[in-house]
Amino acid sequence: MSLVFRIAREEWRLWSRSRVVVIAALTIAVLVGVTSLLTARGVADQAANRTARQAEAEAAFFAQPDRHPHRMVHYGHYAFRTPPPLAVFDPGVDAVTGQSIFLEGHRQNTAMFADARSGADLGGFAALTPASLYQLLVPLLLIVLGHGIVLRERESGTLAVHLAQGQSGLTLMLGKALALAGVGGLLLLPVAALALAAIAGGEAPLAAVLLVGGYALYLAVWALFVLAVSLWLDRRSVALGMLVFAWLVTSLVVPRIAIDAASAAVEAPGKIESDLAMLSRQRAIGDGHNAADPAFEALRKQVLDQYGKQDVAQLPINWRGVVADYSEKKLTALMNEIAEDRMTREAAQSRVVTAFGIVSPALALGAASRALAGTDLATHHRFLRESEVLRYDFVQALNNLHARALTYADDAARSSDPEAEARTRVSAKAWSLLASFRFVPDPASARAARAVQPLGLLVFWLAVLCCAVVVGARRLRP
Amino acid sequence: MTDVEPLAVTPALEAHALSLVREGSRVLDDVSFTVAPGEIYALLGGNGAGKSTTLLTFLGFLSPSGGSVQVNGREVGADVAAARGAIAYLPEAATLYGHLDAYENLAYFLDLAGRRVDRAALEAALDQVALPPEARGRRMQTYSKGMRQKTAIALALLRDTPILLLDEPTSGLDPVAIDEFHAMVKALAAAGRTVLMVTHDVYGACQVADRVGLLRGGRLVGSFEAGPQGRIDTETVHAAFAARGAS
Repeated sequence: MSLVFRIAREEWRLWSRSRVVVIAALTIAVLVGVTSLLTARGVADQAANRTARQAEAEAAFFAQPDRHPHRMVHYGHYAFRTPPPLAVFDPGVDAVTGQSIFLEGHRQNTAMFADARSGADLGGFAALTPASLYQLLVPLLLIVLGHGIVLRERESGTLAVHLAQGQSGLTLMLGKALALAGVGGLLLLPVAALALAAIAGGEAPLAAVLLVGGYALYLAVWALFVLAVSLWLDRRSVALGMLVFAWLVTSLVVPRIAIDAASAAVEAPGKIESDLAMLSRQRAIGDGHNAADPAFEALRKQVLDQYGKQDVAQLPINWRGVVADYSEKKLTALMNEIAEDRMTREAAQSRVVTAFGIVSPALALGAASRALAGTDLATHHRFLRESEVLRYDFVQALNNLHARALTYADDAARSSDPEAEARTRVSAKAWSLLASFRFVPDPASARAARAVQPLGLLVFWLAVLCCAVVVGARRLRP
Repeated sequence: MTDVEPLAVTPALEAHALSLVREGSRVLDDVSFTVAPGEIYALLGGNGAGKSTTLLTFLGFLSPSGGSVQVNGREVGADVAAARGAIAYLPEAATLYGHLDAYENLAYFLDLAGRRVDRAALEAALDQVALPPEARGRRMQTYSKGMRQKTAIALALLRDTPILLLDEPTSGLDPVAIDEFHAMVKALAAAGRTVLMVTHDVYGACQVADRVGLLRGGRLVGSFEAGPQGRIDTETVHAAFAARGAS
């Protein structure tokens, strides 16, 4: 082991004495440092802004005066999602999908649309975040450092001297691998620091540790790939060209192909298409604002039969409120059906993109990173579902109030009779029907479970490359 | 005085009917020779004659297609580590690490060979190869070819192995350095080291070696030993070398 370390130490000494290497390493270090600070600051600013807006929205909502319950249904409210602490490292889809939703009656608002999905699948590709830096730029540093790690020895003749000292090719390769691993370890320090900060901020240690482990795995894959290429090829210039080409293909080209393939394999309608489809089906449900809509005829008969009355005006409950409740229930079922279909398709697209991790470690890592950070599509979908439950419960609570606290006569006459209108106003205390909404990240075990497949792909890469290095090392000749 | 039959001594190096085919062409063809302990054997030949290839087979870097190579009586292929452990190898155009100075280079490569030597031993070896003291602390990338060669020779000496394989060891050295090198090799042999050197320098080979083998096209086509004067006749070897077309 000491020999392996000795070989690695010599490599580190070479790199530390190389101006090009030092400049490249410093550039990456500065980029990682600055990006981490900027991302952390951005997330903190967003958090402060979100907290302020949340307080503002809640204050404005609860400050609403006594009024007709259905006006509050349309007044609406915001649901906010606090990003998990690891979002500082990998904001994931949050940058594209947003972290708040406006909740109102008869609508499911969402920020999801096709362009946003594309960006999301790339893990915020356009934005320079610590995660994207690690996924894209750090491998380049390993390529610059390591492409000649064996070929340099071969071309200068020192490989023969090494082997002639009685050391096996495997020992030499272990030393070289340790040298690259050392660089990888150094490069992981900022990730580890951010992970520790996240743990201090309440993040589950398991998720943070697995995130660091995932990036370690990714850098190990690149380190072994660089080593294998340097071991198997004959010339440094060819090795450098091949490594840069491989980086270009796996980090830039394949992710785009993956998105196109996902779109082709799983068709997902855009928001406009979804809205149009929903509107046409919504017409069949009827307009909940119009209690005389023929679509509610069956309901009218059923309710009249239930209460043994001949006319809706004789009902002990407000027919308009009953219609509002019924139509919201039907409409929500329809909206949920469409939303679930869309989310299922998006999840399937995301799985297709992740499956491309078999040819692109960057994609595999991106998927694992977002899952572990709690900024993946699954988390966003859960936010949509939970906020929808909040929206539906609140709207139906108001509709129930509409049906039971207001008389049908007053409700029907309120636009022409100011006194009736005054009687249809309910106390502002009722607005507290809105439950407080606090979105919490998935437990670490659930996030880890989602990261298993992409991390498995990285392990697969690692195993294949280990074999390539071991076989190459055994047949190593000057 | 009784004529006693000499004891059979295991050769330090032995090639027996050695053949090697690389990329479809026969590089070595039925080469056989032995080098006794303490002997200096020079393999002479032109470019492409198979000299360096022969050395690489003794190190186990190349496996024979036919025949065998042995180090201290043991088949190289059976225990490559043992063969390499017994041999100090000086490659042609020896290059150590340019970013290290002479001391650092020697310490590193000796570490790899499992040898730890103190500073005094390093200085003694560098004195022996006459590397200027003021150059020893400088990075090797600033060295001339001769200085790099001297450092590599110092490494071979410090390995303290019973066998030295030298590939074109005087290439790039000035005449004075060559004379000093030859003297050093003779001293090493006198101390019991076995030396197999390959070269295309007829004069140098005849001056330093006990025996000279002439390689041509991968075949050993001639063998020359010291005459009554204790030296190999340069003219004879040169004539053979030239007549047979060098390679």
